[in-house]
Amino acid sequence: MAADLGAVLGAARAQGSRRTGGRRAARLPRPKLSRRGRTEALFFWLFISPWLVGFVGFLLGPMIASVYISLTEWDSFTPPVFVGLDNYVQALTGDPVFWKALWNTFYYAAISVPLGLAVGLWLANLLNKRVRGRKFFRTMIYLPTLVPLVATAMVFKMVLAPSGPLNDLLGVLGVQGPNWLLDPLWVKPALVVLSAWGAGSATVLLLSAMNGIPREFYEAAEIDGAGPFRQFWSITFPQITPIIFFNLIMGLIGAFQIFSQVYILTQGGPDNASQMMVPLLFDQAFGFYHFGYASAVAWLLFVVIIGFTALAFRTSRRWVFYETEVR
Amino acid sequence: MAAATQAPPAAVVDPGVAPGGGATARTLKAFKATPATYAVLLVVSAVFFVPLILMVSIALSSDQTSAQNAFTVIPTEFLWSNFSTVFTATGLPVGRFVLNSVVIATLSAVGQVLSSSLVGYAFARLRAPGKNVMFVVVLATMMIPAQITMIPQFLLFKELGWVNTYLPLIVPSFFSNAFNVFLVRQFVSRIPSEMDEAAQVDGLGYFGIYRRIVLPMMWPILTAIAIFTLTHAWGDFMGPLIYLNSEEMMPLALGLQYMTSTSNAMQLPPWNLVMVGSIMLTLPMIVVYYLGQKYLYEMNVSVGSAGVK
Repeated sequence: MAADLGAVLGAARAQGSRRTGGRRAARLPRPKLSRRGRTEALFFWLFISPWLVGFVGFLLGPMIASVYISLTEWDSFTPPVFVGLDNYVQALTGDPVFWKALWNTFYYAAISVPLGLAVGLWLANLLNKRVRGRKFFRTMIYLPTLVPLVATAMVFKMVLAPSGPLNDLLGVLGVQGPNWLLDPLWVKPALVVLSAWGAGSATVLLLSAMNGIPREFYEAAEIDGAGPFRQFWSITFPQITPIIFFNLIMGLIGAFQIFSQVYILTQGGPDNASQMMVPLLFDQAFGFYHFGYASAVAWLLFVVIIGFTALAFRTSRRWVFYETEVR
Repeated sequence: MAAATQAPPAAVVDPGVAPGGGATARTLKAFKATPATYAVLLVVSAVFFVPLILMVSIALSSDQTSAQNAFTVIPTEFLWSNFSTVFTATGLPVGRFVLNSVVIATLSAVGQVLSSSLVGYAFARLRAPGKNVMFVVVLATMMIPAQITMIPQFLLFKELGWVNTYLPLIVPSFFSNAFNVFLVRQFVSRIPSEMDEAAQVDGLGYFGIYRRIVLPMMWPILTAIAIFTLTHAWGDFMGPLIYLNSEEMMPLALGLQYMTSTSNAMQLPPWNLVMVGSIMLTLPMIVVYYLGQKYLYEMNVSVGSAGVK
């Protein structure tokens, strides 16, 4: 599913540069449709009607409704009361849990996403060598990503238990492990550990990207006397930046929407130390029936996600290289 | 886009060796595997494997071991009977959970395959004014996080009386989703259109071309979409949590959570049976992935660079 969204990102960027270039091209007048053209157009709209109906009914309509609901106080049993921007003001100034959840979500995204990428990059680079049994190692690293999140959460409840395997391992290294899920200081790192277990999907994508790098680059570098580190940073890394960028974007979007792990493992506790944006929104909506406030939180989350995606895109021009792009 | 977690596999060719070079080709320095490489890979593989083996170990342990939390990572007990007692001993309709999961996942996949193939075909092949604008809208909708529409959708489905039925989890699939439409569109764009044109000359209509000519060629991408949808719907937790409240309707992913929430706070959940459930949740995904990886890879190749067009 992955490289293709990479293609979406690439296409989005190509569109951007095309727009600037296309200014010169004169617009041709749209030709009148022939009868056959009209039939074809009719069939086009007929064929896309499932998407169109879904778009209006399940996306556009609900989005507009969501804007309105976020401006009201509504429990869905009594009529909504229009309160203007009160819900947004309440979230940003009157609700300490909102800021805590926002901070926790930042913390989680800021650590889990780069960590997952670094681990994936490191493992992919190892697997890209002439390793005997590569298929075996790759399978071992990829297997965890096939485990559904709920099952992952269940088993990590045991892995992260005070006397669980993780603390046993730390004990071997002479470190007294914390009570991961019940310690406000360690509950977020615990969720990061859980996310790192899924580093296999990034590994496999990065590995297949590394496979596509022409061998000649490395031959030339070796003749020039570049060591393995230099070769990694000057050849491998720049060549796979589109895939890294894709993983960064998808990882950020996913991390900001973390829900199931929190809901199952911690319920946001202890003392809201692991409360995140989506679990907060969920509690507000389906626990307390504060539909107006929850909708406002959803829009604030949207702004945060769009903001970070835009930021990543802006910086990408400096470090992401597309083969097809002329610079 | 939670489904994006599933990555297609990579076909790995030996990178350090020139094509056709065989064993005589010299390995470049960058691709030399040292003992340290093997050591790291072995340790990482072992660490990654611990949660999986722990899942199996707990699933095979006795009720006493489970109640005392006295698990070991390496299995010491082998109570395979847990795989049958899980259906009776928890007081929950576990068999029903599995059935619900199968129904929801299968129908979602069918819906996505039908709708996105139709819509994707239209975007790839048919010409109409406004098509490009619509396609940009399709791409743009991928940006909208599900949380925005979650509450109004819930209120809508509640109004329709769909709460505590499969419908809110299945029906939206029959209206396709932007990402799958994009995949099909990219795939079909790469199929030469001579066949359709010939069929058109022979008097086949647009639906006929879709049904008889293009659909049979689309199956690699449709298999991939079916796998994505299946895995996503099978593992989905939040959707069922919002819409289903009777045990009879719950899929396994949500039922597992119910298994861990015991009525008595002093009572520990039956961890061995919870892990049996976790294995039942996991195994089908491994099987589906194993059977389908060829198609996921094909899809990756066929769609990978198409975005530049």
